[in-house]
Amino acid sequence: MRPTSPNQLIGMLQINRIVEYLPDLWNGLSMTMGLYLFALFLGLGLGIVLAIGRHYGGPIVSRISTAYIEFMRGTPLLAQILAITTLPLALNLDTSWRIILQDIFGTPRITVDITILLCAITLGLNSGAYQAEYFRGSMASISGGQTLAAKSIGMTKRQEIRHIALPQSLRRAIPAWSNEAVYLPKYTTVAYFVGVPDLFSAAKLAAGRTFQSLTVYSLVAVIFLVLITAISWILSRIYNRVKIPGI
Amino acid sequence: MMTKVIEVKDVWKAYDTLEVLKGISFDVFEGEVKVVFGPSGSGKSTLLRVINMLTPPDKGEVLLRGQSLMDPQADLTKLRAHIGFVFQNFNLFAHLKAIDNVSIGPHLVLGKTKEEAHDIAFKALEKVRMNDWGHHYPAQLSGGQQQRIGIARSLAMNPDVILFDEPTSALDPELIGEVLQVMLDIAKEGTTMIVVTHELGFARAVADEMIFMDHGVIVETGTPQHFFQNPKSERAIDFLHKLEVLYGQAETDIES
Repeated sequence: MRPTSPNQLIGMLQINRIVEYLPDLWNGLSMTMGLYLFALFLGLGLGIVLAIGRHYGGPIVSRISTAYIEFMRGTPLLAQILAITTLPLALNLDTSWRIILQDIFGTPRITVDITILLCAITLGLNSGAYQAEYFRGSMASISGGQTLAAKSIGMTKRQEIRHIALPQSLRRAIPAWSNEAVYLPKYTTVAYFVGVPDLFSAAKLAAGRTFQSLTVYSLVAVIFLVLITAISWILSRIYNRVKIPGI
Repeated sequence: MMTKVIEVKDVWKAYDTLEVLKGISFDVFEGEVKVVFGPSGSGKSTLLRVINMLTPPDKGEVLLRGQSLMDPQADLTKLRAHIGFVFQNFNLFAHLKAIDNVSIGPHLVLGKTKEEAHDIAFKALEKVRMNDWGHHYPAQLSGGQQQRIGIARSLAMNPDVILFDEPTSALDPELIGEVLQVMLDIAKEGTTMIVVTHELGFARAVADEMIFMDHGVIVETGTPQHFFQNPKSERAIDFLHKLEVLYGQAETDIES
């Protein structure tokens, strides 16, 4: 068998046919990143609030937080997204709101509409439940002695949480939390099921039209791999930068 | 005329059915150093925690300069700021440099500006001879150094009284001296202190009164001379004998 030449390889993978779909894939990637970053930061804020509620809240607040966390973790993300994105239709609300912007190739695209927005919010609400558990774990790992010490110099509960517990538990949570940060980009692909033009849906389109499934999905895999490696790298840089010296 | 800083009045505390404190009463006067000692499980640490309400008692009352800490109207966090506490395990804030461990109280609780709090903290660090170590994190310091930071953290609040809960028990033997020395210094400056310790050398040097506790009650009180020459109760004699066997004669090897 003769070795395959580069030209033959290009021919086999038919990369030239996929080039036509690169703008779609690029816009899909932007959408995925948009969903990801929105959900990650919404989930971060929500997760911290839920973790504080569950760990430090009184009987009522901690039960509400726990119920929310268990509900969001206990039901499928896809079901949550389907339920929430059909809500405006079910309630007969106006769904025509959308923002259309030109992409970098000069083609106007729907950047945000009601479905995309609801999808991003649901991803954030879901991620918040998982993130809360990472933070709660790190809050529980702070020694009780420091709480006593904070009390003994006359700090209020609020000051103790804000100045003693949070700065330490947020730092400690980073390695575990990075799990969520690298998981979430892949999770956003469920947006495809409600018609959000994300990276996965662009790939599906390109694969369907060119019949080059292997090439297209390999490309998507490489994109995710690069993305996730970058996120991991950034987070470990951040962790090393903010970790408490000597520990 | 001596003023009472702390009054402990018939304090009782039980954990479930285990009675830890069974009617403890004593007064602490301005500038006085009280040493509390006794076998483990006698309720010494609980007593200290009751005094600043980290563990509220079931019965009885604690007064700080005549004001009850049990009063539901009282702002407990405010009152607590007047009572320093030095822990057996130091309990420094792990994410803060030594100087910030000390200045956070004056800044957040006493409402000083960052600069004022920093100055107060620096002076407190000087007192415990840690001023060259201000920029180290707790995990970078030895146990003795950490405990001195712990003492500085209390001093910086300019408290009415400082409670010491076995401050040298978690330390390697060669680190105990530096901590005791600092405690001697501040005792001689007139700091009001209640110290739970088995360091009899320290007690002999500065204690105005020693309180021997066992099984949740005060068995015997007296001056160091009283305890070292002729303790009355059987249990005190027995316990002091055990300490002597362990640590040798109650002689102080620190400069007094």
